[in-house]
Amino acid sequence: MTASELVGETDESAGQATESPVRPASDDSVVVVDGLRKSFGSGGGAVTAVDGVSLAIERGSVVGFLGPNGAGKTTLIKSILGMVIPDEGEVRIDGVDARASPRAAYADVDAMLEGARNDYWRLTVRENLRYFATVSGVDPDSVTARHDRLLERLDLAGKADVAVRDLSRGMKQKVSLASVLAGGASVLFLDEPTLGLDVESSRTLQRELRRLVAEEDLTVILSSHNMDVVETVCDRVVIMSEGRVIADDTVDALLRTDDSHRLELTSVDFDDALRAALTERPAVVRTESLERGGRIELRADSDELYALFADLDERGVRLDDIKSVDRDLETAFFDLTGIDGPDL
Amino acid sequence: MTADEPGFEPAGGSDTEPADRTTPRRAGYRHLMRAVLYREYLVFVRYPANAVGGIVVALFFFALLFYGGRMVAGRALTDSIEGIIVGYFLWTLSVGAYSSISNDIGSEVQWGTLERHVMTPFGFAPVALLKGVAKLVRTFLTSALILAVMLVMTGTALSLNVFTVVTVATLTVVSVLGLGFAAGGITVLYKRVGNWLNLLQFGFIVLISAPAFDFGWARLLPLAHGSALLQQAMVDGTRLWEFSVVDLGLLVGVAAGYLVGGYLVFQAATRRARQLGVLGDY
Repeated sequence: MTASELVGETDESAGQATESPVRPASDDSVVVVDGLRKSFGSGGGAVTAVDGVSLAIERGSVVGFLGPNGAGKTTLIKSILGMVIPDEGEVRIDGVDARASPRAAYADVDAMLEGARNDYWRLTVRENLRYFATVSGVDPDSVTARHDRLLERLDLAGKADVAVRDLSRGMKQKVSLASVLAGGASVLFLDEPTLGLDVESSRTLQRELRRLVAEEDLTVILSSHNMDVVETVCDRVVIMSEGRVIADDTVDALLRTDDSHRLELTSVDFDDALRAALTERPAVVRTESLERGGRIELRADSDELYALFADLDERGVRLDDIKSVDRDLETAFFDLTGIDGPDL
Repeated sequence: MTADEPGFEPAGGSDTEPADRTTPRRAGYRHLMRAVLYREYLVFVRYPANAVGGIVVALFFFALLFYGGRMVAGRALTDSIEGIIVGYFLWTLSVGAYSSISNDIGSEVQWGTLERHVMTPFGFAPVALLKGVAKLVRTFLTSALILAVMLVMTGTALSLNVFTVVTVATLTVVSVLGLGFAAGGITVLYKRVGNWLNLLQFGFIVLISAPAFDFGWARLLPLAHGSALLQQAMVDGTRLWEFSVVDLGLLVGVAAGYLVGGYLVFQAATRRARQLGVLGDY
């Protein structure tokens, strides 16, 4: 099955885990992955890191890869980039078979990889930009103005002639991003770009990334543990679990994947016995004991909600507080992957 | 954008500041060579501690060998001092070339920069070869300094026809550069084996001494034949054109064979690392 043949097999209901939750390839697809599979080890100890993944990424989009540890995100990215040779499947970048013609396929691609320095710390910021522009196939003298602009954008202009090793961690991360952008590649893979950054540095990087995407017409494939990063920066999210794509849709669609209402009710009448009884109801997803009474979290459609309120009324429960709980990407992620906690 | 047309006209029309409209030019191997050599030069001049440390250690051991040997062996050592100086010079060249390229590849793996090079239009192979050239030049500079101090220390005079010495020594050390590539490839696959691979440099002493054992086949080993020619050039004053075609052909053949062999081992190890998914794991 080719990615283009996936047309018609996608699920219309946004973000639901289905057999083929992937988007079809289109004429505008710049990255097309078809049936990618990669296992490590052999025999009984073999681990399938990527299990038949097919997806297509449109030019100009920002796609986030989400998934728990070991979901296969990094292996998928490295397989797309040719740093890991897949067992099966095909990768096409801008229509070019990456296995058959890697140089041509990756001519317009660059990557910032998780846990790697990505650049040379003994060189200055500007020297890194010039070096990586050259190895990306671009004469650095012809992109000096672009480098100046990048340094301005990323607030690195004042540090242009400082060795990278003398910069803070946040700045080093920005230099990594700048060096990835230095050669003018329009397809970028960013694996955990905000890893290890403090909140402020992470937000600055997200803001600058969003701005650069708009200005440079970039296609970005981003993997992150940080839901805020994905929600802020990405147009679309691919959620992976156990090597497979279990959801592939826009952030907006994933945030409204079900019609349920989410409420948080607090009452002094929610004693241990009542909370225990309420957990039997499917609508109640969480209970919590408070100093006086307790709190329950509901996820229910209208019928279930009316039924539950009728039950509470019958039991003589007086509600002290009712809050609507917004569904965020984190909630959607937990729902889709079946993970209980925030340990992604 | 393709490799042939690396243009990236940034999209304008956003509500932010307009993007610049410069059209990038394609970089060829000339640009790559300049970039890699310039990077090596910058690192060398900015961080000379390693090079200076290497020179000091090499001279310390030579002083130990010379003065200690003179005390123990007396005239016997003094009579053969020219050969010892040439051998020691070649050994410092070999160790410098071998360890710098193998350690450098290990560092590139550790930093994640090797992975990044793999997907560029040039790949890592030409970058590694150019690094090898830079390491060779660098090692020549430091070893020349060591040679000068050794000559002054021992009061010895050698025939130093620069053209002959540089050509023969370069071709001799190229075979070791090939071993460095192979060792770098093993580091890519097995990571923290650098210390074990560095032990190989003590084997170079045997290879440099191999001509003394007069085994014909030993001339096919790295360093051995070149060592014999370098002794002739520096001790006996033989000029490059005075060597036989067979000798020069063997020197070039051994250099090319080990360089190509080491390069193929490096390529095979990199490919295996990509299959195992360990190219960037450190």
